[in-house]
Amino acid sequence: MSRPVARRSLLAGGLSLPLLGLGLSSCSSGPGAEEGPATPFPTAWDDQATIDVFDGLANQMGEQPGWFGHLVADEFALTLNVIAPNVAGGGDTLYNTRVAAGELGDLVLTDVGQKLDELIEGGLLMDVSSLYANMDSASRFDDAVQKVNEGKDGIYAIPTQVSSLKPTEPSEGIDPTFGPFVRWDLYKEVGYPEIGTLEDLLPVLKEMQDVAPEADNGGRVYALSLFNDWDGNYMNNAKQPCCYYGYDEVGFVLAKADGSDYQSILDSDSLYVRVLQWFFDANQMGLVDPDSTTQNYDSLFSKMQGGQVLFSFWPWQGQAAYNSEANMAEGKGFMIAPLADQKIFSYGAPAFGARQVFGVGSTAEDPERVAAFLDWLYSPAGVYSNSSQTMGAAGPQGLTWELNDDGKPELTDFGRDALLGDGATVPEEWGGGSYTDGASWLNVTTVLGNDEDPETGHPFNYKMWETYQQSVSNPLTEDWAGVMGGYATTMEYLNDNDMVLVAPGASYVAPQESSEVETIRNQVKAVIVENSWKMAFASDQATFDALLKDMQETAEGLGYQTVLDVDMANAEEQNALRESVAAEFG
Amino acid sequence: MAVPVNVSTVVATEREQVRSRRSRGAGRGGREARPPSHRRQSFGLFLTIVPFLVLIFVFSYLPLYGWIYSLFDYRPARGLFGSEFVGLQWFRMLVGSPTQVEQIVQVMLNTLAMSFLGIAASVLPLAFAVFLNEIRAKWFKNLVQTITTLPNFISWVLVYMIAFSMFSSTGMVNGLLENWGVISEPLKFLDSDEHVWLKMTLWGIWKTVGWGAILYLAAIAGIDQSLYESAKMDGAGRFHTMWHITVPQLMPTFFVLLLLAIANILNNGMEQYYVFQNAFNRETIEVLDLYVYNIGMTGGNLSLATAVSMLKSVISVALLLAVNALSKRVRGTSLV
Repeated sequence: MSRPVARRSLLAGGLSLPLLGLGLSSCSSGPGAEEGPATPFPTAWDDQATIDVFDGLANQMGEQPGWFGHLVADEFALTLNVIAPNVAGGGDTLYNTRVAAGELGDLVLTDVGQKLDELIEGGLLMDVSSLYANMDSASRFDDAVQKVNEGKDGIYAIPTQVSSLKPTEPSEGIDPTFGPFVRWDLYKEVGYPEIGTLEDLLPVLKEMQDVAPEADNGGRVYALSLFNDWDGNYMNNAKQPCCYYGYDEVGFVLAKADGSDYQSILDSDSLYVRVLQWFFDANQMGLVDPDSTTQNYDSLFSKMQGGQVLFSFWPWQGQAAYNSEANMAEGKGFMIAPLADQKIFSYGAPAFGARQVFGVGSTAEDPERVAAFLDWLYSPAGVYSNSSQTMGAAGPQGLTWELNDDGKPELTDFGRDALLGDGATVPEEWGGGSYTDGASWLNVTTVLGNDEDPETGHPFNYKMWETYQQSVSNPLTEDWAGVMGGYATTMEYLNDNDMVLVAPGASYVAPQESSEVETIRNQVKAVIVENSWKMAFASDQATFDALLKDMQETAEGLGYQTVLDVDMANAEEQNALRESVAAEFG
Repeated sequence: MAVPVNVSTVVATEREQVRSRRSRGAGRGGREARPPSHRRQSFGLFLTIVPFLVLIFVFSYLPLYGWIYSLFDYRPARGLFGSEFVGLQWFRMLVGSPTQVEQIVQVMLNTLAMSFLGIAASVLPLAFAVFLNEIRAKWFKNLVQTITTLPNFISWVLVYMIAFSMFSSTGMVNGLLENWGVISEPLKFLDSDEHVWLKMTLWGIWKTVGWGAILYLAAIAGIDQSLYESAKMDGAGRFHTMWHITVPQLMPTFFVLLLLAIANILNNGMEQYYVFQNAFNRETIEVLDLYVYNIGMTGGNLSLATAVSMLKSVISVALLLAVNALSKRVRGTSLV
């Protein structure tokens, strides 16, 4: 698939090298970039058009349906054709294929750093400087935009997850990103036992599993159920508990949010190996779902919905799956059961946006409309409609929420059904269909939900609205608050009890690494993931230890140390940046 | 990605060489004896093979140009000539450390082991055809043939779905065994590294044995009936005629198919292993094609993948020579 392109360029190169250079330079400027309009974007568009959106975060592929599709068609006469490498699978296969073909998409969501730089060098992205002048909503975050495009010959990238919050404040709203969330109703049933440390959680889970060995749907209940389709540098599940102690990954390094500790994950006494041991012990106790080795996220999620899983590594997983209004009314649902020694990792609001950035493809036929749409995503209307629901996006004003008599935002009855209930059918004039199915497939947060909507003066995230918090009190949250000391949200509890460690949002981007390091990294990754799974499901402790030794030796033999040195340096640099950002904004 | 020489091309081109050598010889011999019109005629004949030569060049030799990728640090966004030229770096890396070499050796071992198990199993369609041919009830014969041919048309993805619903930890087999009280913990059929080579070969046999028998059945139909009649007059029983007439008559077909089977195992052997691979069996299931895919596509290093895939050409030629030698020994004639 890459061959024909290369052959073409060989011919070009063979004929005349200057010609090749000409071809490249004509590519990088792209149509419409230079003669871009100085007038504001039109408010109406005549012809219907379809644009390809290459979106590395999307979990659905195809034409955006439902109310969001309807909204975009109304505003911009656009149909979004979402291209999702996550759905296509096979890592970067789809990306490489499309890049080699010279056309990634009209609107591209990619990573800063190596990928972005290469796309610019290869002439696949357009300089949108002239269009940016009209992007009033995105340019509210001009600092972040300029920072991302620093050293580049124009404006190529618009960062996501921008905000006007301080980088030392958590970017999360009411719940952290990570946390030991358990089925609170069963935790209650076994008498709210105190949990000292990670290992103490297992006997508690065991008791909970014994209390309810069978779910309402008749399926067998397991305390832990794992999945493998998110595995990257490590076995994904095994990394999560490391975040309960303030560590996050930088390649093969676990770096503590405050820069006080760096661990190589393969060290026998690393937190990662401790978690693997924890999985192993859990499996020996019969707490781990035997389907774990072969299932994916979706099948795990449906098990959680059915009440067959008692532990969630993340609040947004268990709560989204199980905390329906009906369940919560019965006092059932996932809530945090704190470990006494936890220090949960929290991402500070990124000072200059997140890793992912938007760019406009150089082959876009109508760059002006693409830019207008992109800008809309940063406008309040766009933020409410587009952001993913797990991040607390309220939906379009007038449908799911409106301003009440006091001028405060409040969910409508429809909004309550759609966002908190079992789903709702969207009225025909909004496009019809189920609300959930019609939500934005882009799955990207342009402006943080905690950020204030300049028009209402309240955060975008409906879960942070007073009107919402007053209205959602239910037996589950009441019981939880009663036990925890009256706190309204997880974040409040964690903050007050010094159980959260905020990593200042430095928007750090690791420098480009050589292909050799990258290749070794990929080989080592495979070894680590493979052995981690084997270790978690090892038959006995001796096998576990042997597998650990084998993993360390094989990784070492492949050149682990080289990659580790790179990661260690990166982790330290990231920390330095965090400190300087904290000093500057804090 | 490089497309390595495939065996059929080698066969075809070597045949071409033999043919052209012969025709050259004929031309030399005929120059004095034959009139010039004959030379025109042979030129005309030569023109008839030109389209095929062009096809072979385009599809089998031109792709070898892709090998050049192994000398670059290829980055799709930059294009080949925007990427850095690194010489033999990737080849050095392959042999750079004992662990790397170990991995390659393991991959080679998997490839060859499963290839040869597959080849060893290629007598099964022949035996199957020979016995099927002896069945007198026509409807039963057709039924058996249809049922056994069907799996060949199921894609490997679906085969894996079948395997998963039957053999996963909550699958049918484990469910039954648990209900019957034979086991208390589910057996790990899919997610373990025990007997992977054998299991993979068995899946392969299940999928292809009926299909493979079709050609033999056709060949059996073409055997001269007088051979059987005279054998019977000499007092040969059923098994005698099977062993002394049917089987030897099928040998030429068998060897041609064997040769093709080898080419196919190396070229199409990936989907099966790709769908069956997981963290627990990867070490023993990763064949060369899958390894190349995992490095190139999943791991994103197309240059290293190219370098590794060149190994495939080496194996192809080695296997071809091995079969050729076997053919020489058994049948007295070589195939290429």
